[in-house]
Amino acid sequence: MRPPTHLPPAHPPQEPALLSPGSTAASSPGTAIPDEIPLFFECEGRPLYAVHHAPGRARPGAPVVVHCHGLGVEQITAYRAEVLCARALAAAGFPVFRYHARGHGDSGGDFAAVTLASLADDALGAAAEARRRSGAESVVWLGVRFGALVAAEAIARGARTAALALWEPVHRPPDYFRGLLRGMLFSQVAAGHAPDATVDQLLERLAEAGRVDVHGYYLHRTVFDSARDADLGSMLESFRGPTLIAQIAARPRLSPAHAALATALEQRGATVDTMCVNEEPGWHFISNPAWECPALALRMRNWLDALA
Amino acid sequence: MPWLETASDVDRARAERPVVIPTPLGRLFGIFTPPAPGAGAPGPCVVLFTRPRSHRNRMWVEGARRLAARGFAAFRFDYHGAGDSEGASGFLDPNRPYRDDAVAVLRELRERHGQTRFVLVGSCFDARTALAAFADEADAIAGMVFIAAPVMPLEDQTRVDADRKSWAHLVRALGNRENWQSLGSAERWRYMATVVSRVARKTVRGPAEPEAPPLAPSFMEHFAALVRSRARALFLYGDDDAEYQTFQVAERTVFADLDPASRRRFEIEVWPGRVHGFLEMTRSRETLDRTLRWIEALDRPAGTSAAAQGGATEAAWTSN
Repeated sequence: MRPPTHLPPAHPPQEPALLSPGSTAASSPGTAIPDEIPLFFECEGRPLYAVHHAPGRARPGAPVVVHCHGLGVEQITAYRAEVLCARALAAAGFPVFRYHARGHGDSGGDFAAVTLASLADDALGAAAEARRRSGAESVVWLGVRFGALVAAEAIARGARTAALALWEPVHRPPDYFRGLLRGMLFSQVAAGHAPDATVDQLLERLAEAGRVDVHGYYLHRTVFDSARDADLGSMLESFRGPTLIAQIAARPRLSPAHAALATALEQRGATVDTMCVNEEPGWHFISNPAWECPALALRMRNWLDALA
Repeated sequence: MPWLETASDVDRARAERPVVIPTPLGRLFGIFTPPAPGAGAPGPCVVLFTRPRSHRNRMWVEGARRLAARGFAAFRFDYHGAGDSEGASGFLDPNRPYRDDAVAVLRELRERHGQTRFVLVGSCFDARTALAAFADEADAIAGMVFIAAPVMPLEDQTRVDADRKSWAHLVRALGNRENWQSLGSAERWRYMATVVSRVARKTVRGPAEPEAPPLAPSFMEHFAALVRSRARALFLYGDDDAEYQTFQVAERTVFADLDPASRRRFEIEVWPGRVHGFLEMTRSRETLDRTLRWIEALDRPAGTSAAAQGGATEAAWTSN
């Protein structure tokens, strides 16, 4: 049985222009967009970039969808798919708030200082801003890859949550980081170079030097250590809301980790939907053109429609 | 070292303004970074052509804020069909640059933000788009940093790049599981067929210099517009870039044919290894630093060498 979503009475009027602290852009005719508002908001003493997608039609009681993007380069590789999904949801009447966490994209902050906890801080700050702007009382979290852990941490800290969507979620960070390093070694081989280290040796370097270069991004010891003991299933132990798990991988069946999470949530009484997107976006590379997934956006919209 | 944000960087971040530019292909989203107050006489506005807007490791976000701290306005944006912008996406062919996006951005910055002089920066497709802007806006462009872009049709670049390969390279490639997996793609099959046929032909005919394919007509058109302008330009490649193999043809032809005064406006730097793609931190930071230094030195007399400007390391790598 599905828990009820928290429904606000109505959406307040949206800001008619693009605003950031000290901005004069509001007076520019070229910047007046009523439905999609790029902005900066303050979060823990630094500016974070976001885009607020106002709903295209009235849908009383709709929650606001807040995106938690992936870590490092994965923020970029799934970006366009997230944008198109946000537009589809907004057109269906759901406000959406996409933000760049500290150390990512156009936001302030050092990537070197990012931790799972700081990402969750930003997620909670973004949710507060999203609710303020949209008037929604509750949040639907969209966690993409490492962002799934961020959303789970935000939920565990008590964020008012109506539902949770996960795109190819990371379950255990150590496995994820090892996969990241393994992928880099594979690409060295593909380029005709013999790798100069194993994954274990790279992890030793990470521990000693504090960072390892992975495809033009540093993997920092700070974030590795911060997430070392995290486990998505454990973090969601208190969550019983509707959940969508979207596997995005070139395999026909749900992976054992995704299936186990779905089973655990269902055993706690959550309604769980799953889907398999049989694609490999190439999470660590910027593809040309950027990865888009209309089927995923459509499924997200239908899932939210059903919840509402 | 990774970028560690300074108080000045945070101030510049706070001053940034999102901008939306209406175009026939959809609204373009970008970020305008105004120059820091008190940074001296404002320099030209630096337009960062980049995909995505921040690029790997946020190198152009850092670039915009560092430039702003030194008195340059900066603007980074998403092309139509990319990032936050509207419009349909598609394969980005460097030989079909998004000239209309580039022109729309420069005109918006002029009409709404009071910017009149520009320096354009881009890599690969983005460099070709920056170059394309000269066809319409040459008088407003003071300089351009053109990084590791192909200058001939992509199929010809594949052939030129294949001519560098050998049987030993193919044997190594066959031993890689991912290469076998990628053969599910028709495009990869075509690439592999091209490489094998070029290597085989080299074996049969000997290592004679292959006939150079022609430069892309779009590059020729836009390069001619650059030459007609008064702008200076830095062309930056890695000697291991596939794109550099195509650029060498340009060096032997269109650059060699320039009159001395025009030629002096253009610097060519070729660094060991790869520049294209920014897939390695040290190299991407070197590229960013070189780009920012070149922009800062732009108002010095044309023809002043990198070494004379204190760029001793790069000077050792400079071919022209």
